[in-house]
Amino acid sequence: MKQARAHLHGNGDLQQTLVVVFLRGGADGLALMPAVGDDDYHRVRPLTAVGQAEAIRLDDRFGLSPAMAALEPAVKEGALSAVHCVGSDDTTRSHFEAQDLMEHGGHTGGGWLGRFLRFREQATGGALAAVALGQAVPESLRGAASATAMQSLDDFSFSGGDAFVQSLKQLYGGETGVFGARARDTFDALGRIRNLHANEYSPAHGAEYGGDRFGRELRLAAQLIKARVGVEAVTVDLGGWDTHLSQAPLIGPLLRRLGNGLAAFRQDLGAAMRRTTVVVMSEFGRRVSENSALGTDHGRGGAMFLLGGDGAEGRVIADWPGLKRDALVGPGDLPVTTDYRDVLIPLLRRHAPSADMARVFPGHEAKPLGQAVEAA
Amino acid sequence: MLGTAGCDAPQKALWPVTGLPGEAKPPFTPPGGGSIDLATHALNRLTFGPRPGQHERVLRLAKREEEAVAKFIDAQLAPEKINDDRAEFRVRRFETLALAPIGEFYEFQPGLLREELTRATLARAVYSERQFQEVMVRFWSDHFNIDLSKGDCKWLKPADDRDVIRPHALGRFPELLAASAKSQAMLTYLDGRANRVRRPGDKPNENYARELLELHTLGVHGGYTQRDVMEIARCLSGWRIGRGLFEVGKVQFEPGLHDAGAKTVLGEAIPARKGMAGRDDFDDVLRIVAGHPSTARHLATKLCQRFIADEPPAAAIDTVAGVFAKTNGDIRQTLRALFFTDEFRAARGTKFKQPLHFIASALRATGAESDVGRPLVNYLVRMGHMPFEYPAPDGYPTRAEPWMSTLLWRWNFAAKLGQGRIDGTRVQADRLARRAGGMAKLAAHLLGRRPSDDELAAAKASGDALGLMLASPSFQWS
Repeated sequence: MKQARAHLHGNGDLQQTLVVVFLRGGADGLALMPAVGDDDYHRVRPLTAVGQAEAIRLDDRFGLSPAMAALEPAVKEGALSAVHCVGSDDTTRSHFEAQDLMEHGGHTGGGWLGRFLRFREQATGGALAAVALGQAVPESLRGAASATAMQSLDDFSFSGGDAFVQSLKQLYGGETGVFGARARDTFDALGRIRNLHANEYSPAHGAEYGGDRFGRELRLAAQLIKARVGVEAVTVDLGGWDTHLSQAPLIGPLLRRLGNGLAAFRQDLGAAMRRTTVVVMSEFGRRVSENSALGTDHGRGGAMFLLGGDGAEGRVIADWPGLKRDALVGPGDLPVTTDYRDVLIPLLRRHAPSADMARVFPGHEAKPLGQAVEAA
Repeated sequence: MLGTAGCDAPQKALWPVTGLPGEAKPPFTPPGGGSIDLATHALNRLTFGPRPGQHERVLRLAKREEEAVAKFIDAQLAPEKINDDRAEFRVRRFETLALAPIGEFYEFQPGLLREELTRATLARAVYSERQFQEVMVRFWSDHFNIDLSKGDCKWLKPADDRDVIRPHALGRFPELLAASAKSQAMLTYLDGRANRVRRPGDKPNENYARELLELHTLGVHGGYTQRDVMEIARCLSGWRIGRGLFEVGKVQFEPGLHDAGAKTVLGEAIPARKGMAGRDDFDDVLRIVAGHPSTARHLATKLCQRFIADEPPAAAIDTVAGVFAKTNGDIRQTLRALFFTDEFRAARGTKFKQPLHFIASALRATGAESDVGRPLVNYLVRMGHMPFEYPAPDGYPTRAEPWMSTLLWRWNFAAKLGQGRIDGTRVQADRLARRAGGMAKLAAHLLGRRPSDDELAAAKASGDALGLMLASPSFQWS
């Protein structure tokens, strides 16, 4: 095992993969993770509250919306961790500012995921280490040692034909040292990419992705991970969470899409899920009380999920202040009691023990996760 | 707006990029030696790679190769004497780069500024005649790294590139350092603008002071202490960027935010200074650090790493550091000395090309016509080498190893370029081979020497000799 690890660099037999799902628009934490066990929740959301009986139970206090019922097996098997009142120190409540701050990992340049991939003992991963599903590479991947924006498998192909590759093999055959090793890794990756294209993909274990974009992108992510081409980080966006107007009819389908997509992905990956962790995050949560248009406005603390795999042990992490007026901040928002970086750090450490967290999150003083909860 | 001198000027001005219609692309003679000769070596290191015919043009500068190369080096060290209209014509369409004053940058979408700055950087790397100037602009852009994605840098870096890095790239190091220290982008990137001391006992922000010593001047083992960092931070407190209506973007000294007490920097006493006199601390600090012997050694080491080898010979560093110190940081004289060391001449093909260098050298070698648009820029993202996006203050590495995992995208790029399948970039492979005098000569042009029998056989078998040579091991090194 150890030998294999030393040999492999850039292709993915033992690589772990982090899938970062960003819910753009500020996803309502009380919709993602309703506080069904808190009487005040039913008081502040009289029209849209999820009843304790219909929720997917996480613990005595929290559940998942029934729209995310597809994740019930993951919850029962302890593969999902959920965090409440999580967020950044952004107080502008501006989408642009808050997304930038969260994706950069602080008031700094470059993205946290980009720095994570760059600043490790093995300075860079392979050429396919980071894949951004969508048109452009997101801020979180800025500064990565490699990042490929990808809309379909065609963006992930090699243009040279067989004769070209054969000739390359002859030329690189005599190279030794690190250069020769990287060349051999690359030929290996080329072979895997070719298999990826040669075979029609069908999801395993009866997994059914929806036909929506999020489902298609997760399907592609699963395909890449299983092909072991060396993908260490995938970013996926799911937008539409900026629910200022009539939130209930808008957010139901979104929650369903999120839950179904993640459940299909987990099912599809099967055993490969052990070396894969999905992180679900959003720039901020939303106002506790509904506005006059039955929507919610920009808030502070929101929810985060970890689905895995490594790093998601079925915990509920919530330093929960309650929903009474004096527990809320600003115009009536859940405070941020857990910094999102403190959720990411243990996870990143498990994925790459040599990663230097002081460089990934410069200026951040890490706090052990859930300490306040356990102390309470 | 076009030039009017001479009756054919307007027509020429319309065709400065592609050449006049019907202007023949003449045959050229590639290098014929069995190994890389001095002219190719100089072209590899002082430029982003030779263009078709450039090797023989260098040799034609004098009868003896030595003299010819010396003339080429001296010409590249004097970019102000090189006409660069054709490249500037290409860059002129990136209008945001010419904005002045700096406040106007804030009127633009950051995405547009980023795109234009990146494309102009690539366009100049490929097409500028002032190649060495461009090579040094890249060197200093890493030495004084600023990441566009930090805060206001997205608005401020274009001016830093234009007003700080470019004018001083071959000037005097102390002036470059001073310009950088007062650059709006640098004050933002390393938090100098947040370095305020309102009352005695306030802790200054030491981010810039630390990087000034560790990265920009003395180097991490340059013999300074944590106390020096703190003292320099105190000296440099109070500089900010104006926000008022008529002072947007202006760098100002604010005595009320400056630590007026006495300080000691690297053993030198700086007296207490009240009011506006406090601004003189800035000049003292920069004079002390720019003139420090460790700075000469640190800069010499970095230059030798860039232009000689990842582990440069100590003798070369000694020579270069000596000239740097003796000339008070004259960048041209320092580099001229470097290029005339035996160590430089001996170190052929020893530097692994950074991705931008690889792409530019491929476009230059093939005489490609490119709009340097998104499809090309995407390769820089894939290979992790977007200009102005390195996510830490120390700038992109010049060592080989961190870049060796980019082979997949290099090969892909080479194959696509050979097949003419990069949108917005055109290469006439057959014509280029004809101009060179056949496939073997084309390979010699791309490798800077006669191809080996194996290389030639592989090129023939590959079905795409041009792409294969660009993807070959030798072309990854300069």
